[in-house]
Amino acid sequence: MKGLQNILLILICTIFCFSCSEKQDFNQYEDLSITPTLEASIFFVKVQESLINRVVDVSFFTQDFNFDAFEEAFFSDRVLEGVITYELENTTDKPIEIEIEFLDENDILLDTEVFTMPAAPTAVLIRERAYGNTGKSLEILRNTSKLRLNASNFGDNTSTSGIPDAAIVLRSSAQFTLRLK
Amino acid sequence: MSSRYRIFLYLALVTSPLLAQNKQVLYDFTEIPQSLIINPGIETDFQWYAGIPLLSGLSGYGGSNGISVNDIFADDGLDINDKVRDRLVAGLTPRDEFSQNLQIELFNGGYRGFNPDIFYSFGAYVEMDNILYWPTDYALLAFEGNAGRLNQRFDLGDLKTRGSMVAVYHFGVNKKMNKKLTIGARAKLYSGIFDFNSTNNKGYLVNTQGQNNRLATTLSADLKLRSSGFGSLNNSDDQAQLTSAVLKRALFGGDLGVGADLGFTYKLNERTSITGSVLDLGFMYHSGDVYTYSLKGNATIEGIEINVIQELADLNRDFWQDLVDEVEELIPFETTNKGYVSFRPTKLNASFRHDFGKPIGSEKACDCGTLTTDSRRLKYANGVGVQLFAVNRPRGPQTALTGFYLRRFGRFMALKGTYTVDKFSSTNVGLGLNIQAGPINLYVIGDNLLSYQNIAASNYASFQLGLNIISWGKKK
Repeated sequence: MKGLQNILLILICTIFCFSCSEKQDFNQYEDLSITPTLEASIFFVKVQESLINRVVDVSFFTQDFNFDAFEEAFFSDRVLEGVITYELENTTDKPIEIEIEFLDENDILLDTEVFTMPAAPTAVLIRERAYGNTGKSLEILRNTSKLRLNASNFGDNTSTSGIPDAAIVLRSSAQFTLRLK
Repeated sequence: MSSRYRIFLYLALVTSPLLAQNKQVLYDFTEIPQSLIINPGIETDFQWYAGIPLLSGLSGYGGSNGISVNDIFADDGLDINDKVRDRLVAGLTPRDEFSQNLQIELFNGGYRGFNPDIFYSFGAYVEMDNILYWPTDYALLAFEGNAGRLNQRFDLGDLKTRGSMVAVYHFGVNKKMNKKLTIGARAKLYSGIFDFNSTNNKGYLVNTQGQNNRLATTLSADLKLRSSGFGSLNNSDDQAQLTSAVLKRALFGGDLGVGADLGFTYKLNERTSITGSVLDLGFMYHSGDVYTYSLKGNATIEGIEINVIQELADLNRDFWQDLVDEVEELIPFETTNKGYVSFRPTKLNASFRHDFGKPIGSEKACDCGTLTTDSRRLKYANGVGVQLFAVNRPRGPQTALTGFYLRRFGRFMALKGTYTVDKFSSTNVGLGLNIQAGPINLYVIGDNLLSYQNIAASNYASFQLGLNIISWGKKK
């Protein structure tokens, strides 16, 4: 009887301990890449035509804005590539130029983005600017601490567009791919 | 070291990483004293028993109903990123779970009282139980991101997880009320080692067409994670301090709770019976070392918005920091230390069994009643029946249906085979072996045995084993 017990015990143990398994390669984990692409708006600026008409100079608006989003460690350490999409709409009666300067924390100019548009009626200008890979250097974004917006009026200071709430509107959004692993 | 001890040690080491709430093979396997743990109302015929400390009961399971280790880590030449994307991120749903349970008996014993119809049992065990439902939309956000998914809501309610490690001290009473009915109850004291839960989350993240800017990003969150016990464990610098912290909390030095198990066996006739049990009707109050993290609120942002004519008087303000502050005010992340109550995962077992064949210990079938004169229950060589199991989980009850066949070879050995259908598997065949060598009782139970052909491809694996000393006493 004792022999039977031992045989059964060995059988059970065999089932438990010597079960089969296909070959596994847990080192594959090292090759796992987690790189989501995130998208959000960045900034929106609206300058009304009535305001432009108040300024006699060509340059009717210059303003620095603190912008630390690209400097945040979560972003700057992980960003792989991205695209910033600008959308410029001009419903004023004036040809205009918008210049966006990317500045670091010491106000050193890193990059400039210039848009020129004829007076209304005109189509919305959409520009996609790539960073990383074949686009501009990601270092521009990583070091950007401030944005400077310069706006120039190449028209007069009296005319008004017939379009309601005439203004220059700059919209922007970004898609960036980040490496989480 | 005896060979049998080696086998136990080997089994423990090899299978311990496999982390069963459902102990369908052990349930109503009345030759094994540990079956009292999952139904305090079984028919007992022991005079007394004593479990070998730390070896009397070791059980565990680990599994996922939706994916296996092999699906991701098989050495098949496929890119792991493709496998993760196709089988994990796109393949699983919020109802798919990853769960594990490990139960180790510290000590366990039982004895018959002066009234031979009453059997007392007592003991302590440590149980670790964790479950995570696949957070589908979180995974989609992490692996793919939200780009190009206008108007697609990422459901933050997909985060549902719960886990705990508790030491359970219990005392049970089992009483044969009459020839047909046996009932039992067990009181439990819980001493919490750690606990975490995040089960009632709501909210979403979505990108929509912006009113001013190109996109509006909306975060609506009502998220909460409650935890207890991790502070003292995290603060342990070495293994000795960690062991000390665990022991302290296991010995009523942490969170406390009470609970009860109830069970019965009712004989419909001499060979047919029904049983049922409710386990862990209880709760714990977590009061020390509690951290509750919450994120609650609603915010819609379109980036920095500068309407110059409206902001003319204050164009030099820090628009970026103001945006960050506004979001943090609208959706504050808070940490509190307020105690909380958690309920134990209550389990329900029920069975229907019909015995047939020769009575054990008799050479002929008889209709001589369900009990022999020495108060030991008359057992038959064969038993067949069905069992139902349910456990309360964060996404509702999880159930399993089992058919079983029990074969007794005299008093010294019994085998129980089961076939179970649940969300993990529809090919779950289990086998339990109980051997009684004099006073020594040994049992080994394996589950989902067909998966052992390729265990890495199994969605679920479990084991139970134990060693007891049993006495049936002298015949009267």
